[in-house]
Amino acid sequence: MRFQLNDEQRALQDAVRSYLRDRFGPAQVREVYDNPDTDGVPAALWKAIGEQGWLAVLVPEEHDGIGLGLLDAAVLARAFGAATVPGPWLSTILLGEAIRLAGSDEQKAKLLPGIAAGEVKGAVALLPNGSARGAVATATDGKLSGNLGLVEYAAVADTLVVAAQDGLYLVDPTHATITSSPALDRTVRLSTVVLDGAPGEKLTNSSDAVLAEILDRAAVLVANDLVGIARKALTDTVEYDKTRVQFGKPVGSFQAIKHDLADIHLGITMAEHAALYAAHAQDIDAPDKELAASIAKVKAGDMANESTSAMIQYHGGIGYTWEHDSHFYLKRAKRLEYAFGDASQHRERIASLLLDGEVDGTRAPVSAESSGMASGVA
Amino acid sequence: MDLQFSKEDEEFRSEFRAWLDTNLPQDMRTEDWWRPKSDDEQFQIRRDWEKKKAEAGYCGIQWPTEFGGRGGSPTMKAIYDEEMAKANAPRTVNPLGLAFLGPTVMAIGTDEQKAAIIKPLLHTDVIWCQGFSEPGAGSDLAALQMKAVPQGTDYLINGQKIWTTNAMHGDKIFTLARTSEGAKRHDGISMLLIDMHQPGVEARPLKQITGESEFGEVFFTDALCPQDEVLGGEGNGWMTAMLLLSFERGSSAIGQYTEFRRQWDAVAQIAKQVERDGKKASQDPVLRQQLANSLVDLECLKYHSWHVLTATSQGKDLGYEASMTKMMWSETFRKVSDTYEAILGSAFQVPEYQGLTLEELTTMALWSRSCTIWGGSAQVQRSIVAERVLGLPR
Repeated sequence: MRFQLNDEQRALQDAVRSYLRDRFGPAQVREVYDNPDTDGVPAALWKAIGEQGWLAVLVPEEHDGIGLGLLDAAVLARAFGAATVPGPWLSTILLGEAIRLAGSDEQKAKLLPGIAAGEVKGAVALLPNGSARGAVATATDGKLSGNLGLVEYAAVADTLVVAAQDGLYLVDPTHATITSSPALDRTVRLSTVVLDGAPGEKLTNSSDAVLAEILDRAAVLVANDLVGIARKALTDTVEYDKTRVQFGKPVGSFQAIKHDLADIHLGITMAEHAALYAAHAQDIDAPDKELAASIAKVKAGDMANESTSAMIQYHGGIGYTWEHDSHFYLKRAKRLEYAFGDASQHRERIASLLLDGEVDGTRAPVSAESSGMASGVA
Repeated sequence: MDLQFSKEDEEFRSEFRAWLDTNLPQDMRTEDWWRPKSDDEQFQIRRDWEKKKAEAGYCGIQWPTEFGGRGGSPTMKAIYDEEMAKANAPRTVNPLGLAFLGPTVMAIGTDEQKAAIIKPLLHTDVIWCQGFSEPGAGSDLAALQMKAVPQGTDYLINGQKIWTTNAMHGDKIFTLARTSEGAKRHDGISMLLIDMHQPGVEARPLKQITGESEFGEVFFTDALCPQDEVLGGEGNGWMTAMLLLSFERGSSAIGQYTEFRRQWDAVAQIAKQVERDGKKASQDPVLRQQLANSLVDLECLKYHSWHVLTATSQGKDLGYEASMTKMMWSETFRKVSDTYEAILGSAFQVPEYQGLTLEELTTMALWSRSCTIWGGSAQVQRSIVAERVLGLPR
């Protein structure tokens, strides 16, 4: 029984954190924020992400990747969340996952090495904006049409992954109409993407099940980003409230504040457990992996919202200023809270997984058996 | 990351599960069997069953064999808790003795105390109560007033304790009393081990909101306790009490998870049967959200128990993080109860509804309200987490 990262994963965590601390801090984030007309991909950062192998984690070794699991990628996502890192890391990872899970051997051999090497940027349109299911485009004889809605980093992407009614397609963005749009969270760049008969290359092993798996993996990575944000927002707030004096005392000594911060700390700790387990559950193909993904997304989204809102509240007026970093966390949390299914959609999914079977009048189902605790399951 | 238990642990699980299969009759696992029996009858049955279990070697799982324990690992204890909860086995009759007194005696008791206390505790020959809270000393324990004055080789004891679990069934009570006037209010306190079967000790039941009387109050009027029946030395009572309370920290909460999850599953079954607004409650979109939300916290409690087990298996002391475990399980239990009530709506009033027996779950829902008070209220726990874990100023 060991519910924790292994030594390699901790080393990876240390490496990414120390890189970000030394090379890409709040000042660098602020530059991306204050220059919304740039492409939102800081060149030195993106180069480092490629060189360090942080885009290769999930690419199999036979395709020049590192062949690690989602838990390893989750370590990166959490660190990127804590540092509000801009750039198309997640969407490129998801491009790779789409090819790895839905592509033919030929497609994998052709496309994955470039992703692993950091030579490719990806963008994904897997869900209609605001929806937890449904295609974004219609494919007819390999030609795709539809308004894909807002897509992150479409303007810099080399390849788009598009969910059509009959499967996943790769589309060259030069065949799309891409109109950039301002984004509240400026650690991302958004565009509206419209396809009108754009040629698409179908990922030949696409299926509803594969798409569902990719969406779960996306939700798990986003959950890890969110817990990174939530934890950092809380830590900064606690530090500030230890020293900010009002009524002759540090404000962190007042119970109204400290009890709320204690609650948030507890909630974030639970979200961290959930995000960790959800990643591991995908890696071991656990029987409850879908449930675990939704639980992680719900808890992480809720806690990131609470923690980043508390960050502003318990900094007082300074927390509401543009020059303070707190809005970086709030706005990133808001963006990701609604990405790949919001909390309500995931709660509904949990309900459908657990409530829509027949009434079992003979006995209450023994949950531990289906959840990896019982012998030999996990 | 490896969520499997070791081969030894799994062997222990199979062995214990087999013992339960043979020795815990199916009817004893159902509420219907227990309900018609009186409090006293229920207690005696539980006491006898626990003794039988102890004699079979399933007691003191993590306690050293020299004291009558099994000498097992934290993971074996977690498996034991889980299997007990899965089987819906009777709860221990000696909760305070097992959680607090036993570990404290093993840590700082005299050899005589170890021999006299531990095995009889495990075998339910002596039922222990805890005498800490008083009418004027609840969360603020150091406000306690009970006096113990030397008289010959005894202490003469006067005062009152309250919220005493098993007050009506207890044989002995580990009690905080003032044996001298201290300069500070934490001084001059001693932990006395008092025999409850004597004329100077009177226990009265307190009726709880469930209608049951699990706890009571205990009055001491010129009660006697030999002066060598002090745990941790005279005047060291406050330190002894703090050590004693710290033993709750190893609890992984896997037992609570297993129990509450079974309750959630039962609530879900009810939601599939109860009609609300012309459809089953389980098809109501708002109730579905609430059911899912309480399940989210429940499953997080399970993950947290893995985290605690990982730490304790590696020999780490979780310290004040234990307050988080208490907050998490007690408040999750409240959420499951709130969900249950919301599903029934006004039918929550009655013991039976649309052919469903509700008494057990309704009692559970009421009981959940006590869990955020006893053993350190939710508010005390928040202060501990804020100050001791987050480092916020007092």
